[in-house]
Amino acid sequence: MKEKIQKIIENLAAPDVSFADVRITFTDYESIFFMNANLRDYSSSKGSPAIGIRVLIDGCFGFAGSKDLSDASIQRLIFRARANAIHGAKFQKEKLTFPELPAVSGEYEYKPEIDPFAMPKAEKLDYLQRLATAIKPAGKIVHSYAAGQFERQEKYYANSEGSFNHMIVTNTLPMMMVVASDGKQTQSRTWPGHMSAGRAGFELFHQQRFEENTERIIQEATDLLSADVITEEKADIIIGAGHLALQLHESVGHATEADRIFGQEISYAGKTFVKPSMLGKFKYGSDILNIYSDSTDPRGLGYHLMDDEGVPGRRVDIIKKGILMDQQSSRHIAHKLGLQPSSNMKASFADDFPLVRMTNLCIAPGKGSLEQLIASTQRGYFLDFTKTWSIDDNRNNFQFTTEIGYKIHDGKITGIVKEPTYFGITPEFWNACDAICGEEEWAYHSTFHCGKGEPGQVMRLSHGVAPARFRDINVSVKM
Amino acid sequence: MTESPKPARTKQRTKYMNEQLKYLQSALQKNPELKYTLVLNLWQTDFLRFYQSQTNYNISKDSSSLNATLYKGKKSCSFNIDHPDHPKIDAALAAALEMIDAMPEDPDFVDIEDDLTLAEPRQIVNNIEAFSLDKKTRFLNDLATRAAQYDFELYGTFICNYQRYHLLNSNGLDKTSTLSPIYLEVKAVHKDSQVTVLQTFGADDFKHFDEAAFGESLLRKIVLGQNPVVDVQPGEYEVILAPRCVAEFAQYLSFGMRAQAVDSHNSFFEGKVDQKLFPAMFSLTDDPADPRMIRMDYGDQGHIYRPLKLIEGGYFRAFMCGQYFHHKLGLPKNGNLGVCLKVDCGAAKLPDMIASVKKGLYISSLHYMNFINARETSLTGLTRDGTFLIEDGKITKVVNNLRFTERISRIFENLIELEDTAQTIPFSGNYAEFSVSSAKAPHARVKGFNISSSTRTI
Repeated sequence: MKEKIQKIIENLAAPDVSFADVRITFTDYESIFFMNANLRDYSSSKGSPAIGIRVLIDGCFGFAGSKDLSDASIQRLIFRARANAIHGAKFQKEKLTFPELPAVSGEYEYKPEIDPFAMPKAEKLDYLQRLATAIKPAGKIVHSYAAGQFERQEKYYANSEGSFNHMIVTNTLPMMMVVASDGKQTQSRTWPGHMSAGRAGFELFHQQRFEENTERIIQEATDLLSADVITEEKADIIIGAGHLALQLHESVGHATEADRIFGQEISYAGKTFVKPSMLGKFKYGSDILNIYSDSTDPRGLGYHLMDDEGVPGRRVDIIKKGILMDQQSSRHIAHKLGLQPSSNMKASFADDFPLVRMTNLCIAPGKGSLEQLIASTQRGYFLDFTKTWSIDDNRNNFQFTTEIGYKIHDGKITGIVKEPTYFGITPEFWNACDAICGEEEWAYHSTFHCGKGEPGQVMRLSHGVAPARFRDINVSVKM
Repeated sequence: MTESPKPARTKQRTKYMNEQLKYLQSALQKNPELKYTLVLNLWQTDFLRFYQSQTNYNISKDSSSLNATLYKGKKSCSFNIDHPDHPKIDAALAAALEMIDAMPEDPDFVDIEDDLTLAEPRQIVNNIEAFSLDKKTRFLNDLATRAAQYDFELYGTFICNYQRYHLLNSNGLDKTSTLSPIYLEVKAVHKDSQVTVLQTFGADDFKHFDEAAFGESLLRKIVLGQNPVVDVQPGEYEVILAPRCVAEFAQYLSFGMRAQAVDSHNSFFEGKVDQKLFPAMFSLTDDPADPRMIRMDYGDQGHIYRPLKLIEGGYFRAFMCGQYFHHKLGLPKNGNLGVCLKVDCGAAKLPDMIASVKKGLYISSLHYMNFINARETSLTGLTRDGTFLIEDGKITKVVNNLRFTERISRIFENLIELEDTAQTIPFSGNYAEFSVSSAKAPHARVKGFNISSSTRTI
């Protein structure tokens, strides 16, 4: 395949082509879905091919992608990518700048402890069936599911600067949920929340202690039916790591994608309140807040040797001591902003165009355990397990509801509340952060489902976080 | 590089894929104990993205796949093959046959689709070929020039898809369908204030596309976007919802009209068939036959897709239900998908609707809605692409984008009046293959719409 992709790069060479790159991916996928303890869906695909060809001609990119890797298809894609660039340049005011980078190359293969594609299928099904049976409808529980998704992707990348990359990774997404009803209302609990994926094999089910938590989610979903709602206008909240990962994702991650500054994503994903003039000055959060993008950490789904336009993996400080320092960027946009490209250009599959995407976006750990943080909180709520999320076009106004909130009185958990909802304005919220737990609570929380771009792409990415406390947050949203 | 390969040969691809489908079907017929559903899907897009009144990038993509679901009694498994060939089909089928006996049963499964009704044949034009990239570029260049006179720049997408699928199963179902939706979304954004207005076009035939009218409508909105920008306090407002908003709220309301929602105890409509839930002016139909919609012939399992009254004169009438949940829940089967929703028009004229608002809001578009509690239809979301203040019956100012937290059922309960004409609104599916569907709705005047906070930004 290395020879094939390099041959395509050779075929793309032409006097009018200032840059070209080619990606080829092969993806294995398996999904197992038990509903109410019955196997509702089993689906798989093996070695699904994809190819994408991108050329820069006359300051405009053109792209063509397909699932067909035959020579005839590749010739057609080269023709289409060129034609798309040439036509695109006719509707252009400013030619795209794309500073050259030195050639780099690398190979990487991640080997999971328990390869989900190599282990016996019966073993996988049996494990998930036992899990599904443990949470099947009974008592107040009226609906449940237990599911696993497994993905293995092999990717080849080459560009006209001489860079080459070959990478094989395996990712797993486990999940379970119960729905409780008293006939009038329903409440739900998931485990371990919506950021449950990981760079791992089947061992992720064991690491995330699924079997030990079936009774907990049944009990909590049932208890939520008779729980109170938050009545205060404002409260101190501690956000658990799983949900904080999404808070970070929506209000820092997407807000610091530099393509949004220039409106490249207005049509669907939106803009950002961040302006170039804020870099190095803007107080995004409190002094204890340090946020970085790190595609060099192999524990996260965002790890790579180079991104999808040949930029080597990097760790970049996005927010340092609360100040906005940098952006997640492409080669073109980094140049416009006077920055170094951050290695954040990624495409989900080879037939997708690369976009500015989060890789491993992390909050640096602070100090202390979650237990200590709760103990140091006089009154407030510990919120975790995302239920609803929503943020505006500029990533400035967010509102989240979690499945459950745990009341804190005098440093102790004293009860639960249902559907706790808080909202805020991004910089005000992050400036209200007065404590972040330490290394012992810090972990990656990952997703398969970050949607962006048109045509739409779903990206696999990670957030490294520990629970954190936010003071005086607006929890007044009532229905 | 000097020789131009011929453009995509749709007929050749179709022929090739049909051969793969037949090959898989022949192999399956050697296993008479199996039932099966097979779906062949050929998909192609030409996608022009633009920003700051210039090309962002042009994309061409195509895919071909074969999806199979095999059933042995109450056991089943599925596989998908992208760009299939005989060796891939042999390998996938061998793996599935080896596995299916080990699969746990689904006791709720009874049978695969058995509706053999064929749709009326329709002539479908490949719109990728009907409106060339050159023509798109010229159209956008002209529009950009006109918007620039007001210091607005254009952002958006101009997309044509072409999709052909062939669905067959062991109950004798054998159906093909072709779609070629058009999706044009133009946002005009002021260079300094960032005030944004939106104009869209969606259809499955360019004969409905009036370039001049599209441009005129966008420019009228641009003129409104030159008003001063203000913020408003949270609270309940009388609002005029643009057709896009009415359609999107109807889509969210319809989640509870799906049999799956009943099964998972998440349906607002559970136990409410033939109950009056909304004002008599509110009627909602899933209408795949309307010529101004992006039409569809069949549901996802191959059931004929026909108009279905969901809400009639305020009464809830029917759940959308396919074969599986028909057997499981005992609901009538119709195969409807809710991707062609149409809100019936009322009798009001838009200028009169605006004139009747003392103080309120005109909301053009919605953003990032998500259910808080689907059974209760409670959700939160935001306004986008042009929110305006109405004072004494006139649009006077632009308002920052706002957050609302509402029950959709309450929004439709609070309908005051509906406009006498409806617009077709295209919607794109952004989470997998880029699909395009449509809905149709008029403007609506609604009382007591709950604005819960301001974004403080445009």
